[in-house]
Amino acid sequence: MDLSKYAALFLAESREHLAACNQSLLEWERDLAATEPVGNLFRAIHTIKGMAATMGHDTVAALAHRTESLLDAVRGGRVAPSPDVVQLLFSAVDALTTAVGRVGRGEAEDDNEHGALLADLDAAAGAAAGPADLADQAGPADTAPLRSRLVEVVIRPMAPLRGGRALLALRRAEALGRVQDVRPGAHMFERDDFDGRFTFRLTGDLDDGMVEAAIRAAGDVEQVLVGDAVQGGSVAARRQIRVDLGRLDALMKQVGELVVARNRLADIAGRSGEAALGETSERIARLVSAMQGEVLAARMNPVAEVFDRFPRVARDLARDLGKQVRIDAEGGSIELDRAVLDEIGEPLLHLIRNALDHGIESPADRIAAGKPAEGRVQLSATRERNTVAIRVSDDGRGIDRAAILVRGRRDGSIGPDVTVLSDDLLLRILARAGFSTATRVSGVSGRGVGIDIAVTRARALGGTLSVTSEQGKGTTWTLRVPLTLAIVRALLAGVGDERYAVPIAFVAETVEFDARQVSAVRDREAMVVRNHAIPTVHLRREVGIEGNPPARRPGIILEVGERRAALVVDRLLGQQDIVVEPFEAPDGLPPFLGGATILADGAPALILDAAALV
Amino acid sequence: MGHSVLVCDDAIFMRTMISDILSQAGFEIVGEAESGVQAVQQYRSLRPDLVTMDIVMPDMGGIDAVREICKEDPSARILMCSAMGQQALVVEAIQAGAKDFVVKPFQPSRVLEAVQRVLG
Amino acid sequence: MADSPALHAVIFRVGTLLCAAPAGIVREILPALPATRIPGVADSVSGLVNVRGSLLTVLDAFRLLGQQRNGEEGALLVLVVQGRTLGLAVGEVRDFVELAPGSVADQARLPGVDPAVVSAVARRDDEHFILLNLDALVGPVFGS
Repeated sequence: MDLSKYAALFLAESREHLAACNQSLLEWERDLAATEPVGNLFRAIHTIKGMAATMGHDTVAALAHRTESLLDAVRGGRVAPSPDVVQLLFSAVDALTTAVGRVGRGEAEDDNEHGALLADLDAAAGAAAGPADLADQAGPADTAPLRSRLVEVVIRPMAPLRGGRALLALRRAEALGRVQDVRPGAHMFERDDFDGRFTFRLTGDLDDGMVEAAIRAAGDVEQVLVGDAVQGGSVAARRQIRVDLGRLDALMKQVGELVVARNRLADIAGRSGEAALGETSERIARLVSAMQGEVLAARMNPVAEVFDRFPRVARDLARDLGKQVRIDAEGGSIELDRAVLDEIGEPLLHLIRNALDHGIESPADRIAAGKPAEGRVQLSATRERNTVAIRVSDDGRGIDRAAILVRGRRDGSIGPDVTVLSDDLLLRILARAGFSTATRVSGVSGRGVGIDIAVTRARALGGTLSVTSEQGKGTTWTLRVPLTLAIVRALLAGVGDERYAVPIAFVAETVEFDARQVSAVRDREAMVVRNHAIPTVHLRREVGIEGNPPARRPGIILEVGERRAALVVDRLLGQQDIVVEPFEAPDGLPPFLGGATILADGAPALILDAAALV
Repeated sequence: MGHSVLVCDDAIFMRTMISDILSQAGFEIVGEAESGVQAVQQYRSLRPDLVTMDIVMPDMGGIDAVREICKEDPSARILMCSAMGQQALVVEAIQAGAKDFVVKPFQPSRVLEAVQRVLG
Repeated sequence: MADSPALHAVIFRVGTLLCAAPAGIVREILPALPATRIPGVADSVSGLVNVRGSLLTVLDAFRLLGQQRNGEEGALLVLVVQGRTLGLAVGEVRDFVELAPGSVADQARLPGVDPAVVSAVARRDDEHFILLNLDALVGPVFGS
């Protein structure tokens, strides 16, 4: 058999297991009595051993074998866990990493290199293990638990009632063995927004091909992936490959370029008026969109990865506050680009803290208000067009608008003519750094502290934060984030004969600028928009364009956190999806130029950084 | 000899259409029911190889009928006939014991595929 | 200098000056492309151009060398200088030449040209041209 095509998989998977080994060792080092890290280590090393033996990498296999023997002795209670044993295992993992690295570089294996380590491992295991017994290495360990595997099923996107189909597929699996850990929960099958993708763990004595065939027989099944996540499994049977995230980033970038080229082509085709060119351009546009979708899909991870952290945090927090709170999450299967996912944890944590600290009342207050003693915080994710809305709702006391109005008047953030606080205005005030109506300052969160961070973070992601609140009933925060960060929607603004791109995420609205109605606030020119004086920034002046601007011209209201500015330009030129492109920046580049891009007509344009203008 | 089928739907139009599709494919239509109650009664007397069951019917809906039939005969092979947007009902019917479902408007090929899966 | 190898160079005109850049750093020669001005930076930066979907920062050789532009179409040299890929807007590109060892004379003063940007002056067919010191010419624009 030609094994060379499995070489990359062997490397990727071995490295992953070795990284996991380091994690397990760190965990074990903190608590030597813990048994789980030992089990994880044993399985990872066993898997590496099996793969290495299959590939004929004898040095790696031997090293893994002797490491496994020591782990087996620890697991079986024949060797007591100690810092020395852990240290030795760290060395063994390092040696395996080195040996696997050699294999990766195509260098010869050096049998003698690890002699001392092997002797130490054998000595620690309490017996000289002798040469590696390669006969059993590809097979399961003697002590291996019953064969269990992760199965992922995707129902055809075009199939009607995918939830019903998913349940039928699950029934077929249940006929084969024990089904556990269905994700998303089976209740999702009843929902119309169920996307047709689910996973479960199947335990039984079957081969993967049988499992796949049985599930496919449910009909309308697009894909069945049977990954042997528990025991590593045979390399050849895998249907998934691991891809370096850097590769995906590069691919995403290429697709971004393609999007720009597509825009350009559509522009040219539109101008030429030639039917064949138009049709081809449209076809390419569709293909590029589909490809963009595929690449984005490859970068997607479920929101559950973030949601799963919160129940524990919330429980500890509620205990500190003397409150009873249940936290539920739904929509965890909704997926977001890895890069976005990494950014939403912190703002969500602020919102949850806020809900627990200021939203949910004490059990006594709740009972007095006719509510159950236990408060509820509901986390949910829903897909809304090209964004995902993540909501944090509580059934607490709601925000006291009257108190905020009083407080806001006192510090001058609300004009005397404002008598009703709209949800928008409420958010704007709460997002002011340090704003607080809390009668006491809690150690958990001051009202408003955290909201400003959440707003800023949402904006930085090209998203928004909004709030609705009803006194006595509760508060809902909605964080809307784009599915991906790679492509930015921008508003194009013209001054003189130049064009600049303004990321739409920071544009609150556009208004008409009237030079006769400006006033001065602290020596700065400002324009009044709905009773608010907003400082103006004239783009012509910033970029050094001489001459007279048109009499009628727009102001783009930029909003970054609580700061706002009216960017006065000559004209608005529509919106466009843009991709940020690298360029060699000359010395003296003004800070308000945040980058550059290529517009649909092929011309380069500079991107304004709203944060530097307000 | 083809498999015997009981067709349950409150609309004559749908009963006729399903009967035509199945009889043309060699099945034998042994009975028709226009309510859940009738469906249960006829199942008892006919013991067909296959039942097609509309979800929404007067006098005991299709899901209750499935429950009733499966209580008496857990090996009953019931194919649900559903409309778009009835995801939750279909899920409930499968939990009650239905073996598969088709979605209106029917395409003969999809109906026959589903029937094959139920009988297969 | 008898041992020094022949030097390959691209010869181009910038106003009244005939200049040369070592062929090794010239990646491409393109017709002049419209540039998007970059506000706030030195006048000698023409701006950004789109070269097959990538952005290239273009410097104006006329301004760098204090020459008058007389409406000529011009060309764009894509160069790699100090690890940066950048464009240099010049007049017409004349030639690709091999300079025989010995035809290159060390620094010579030329009227109106900063001696720091001249590495040498060479002569071919009765014409003199400047072998540019591109590090010195371009470095200040990027603050190095």
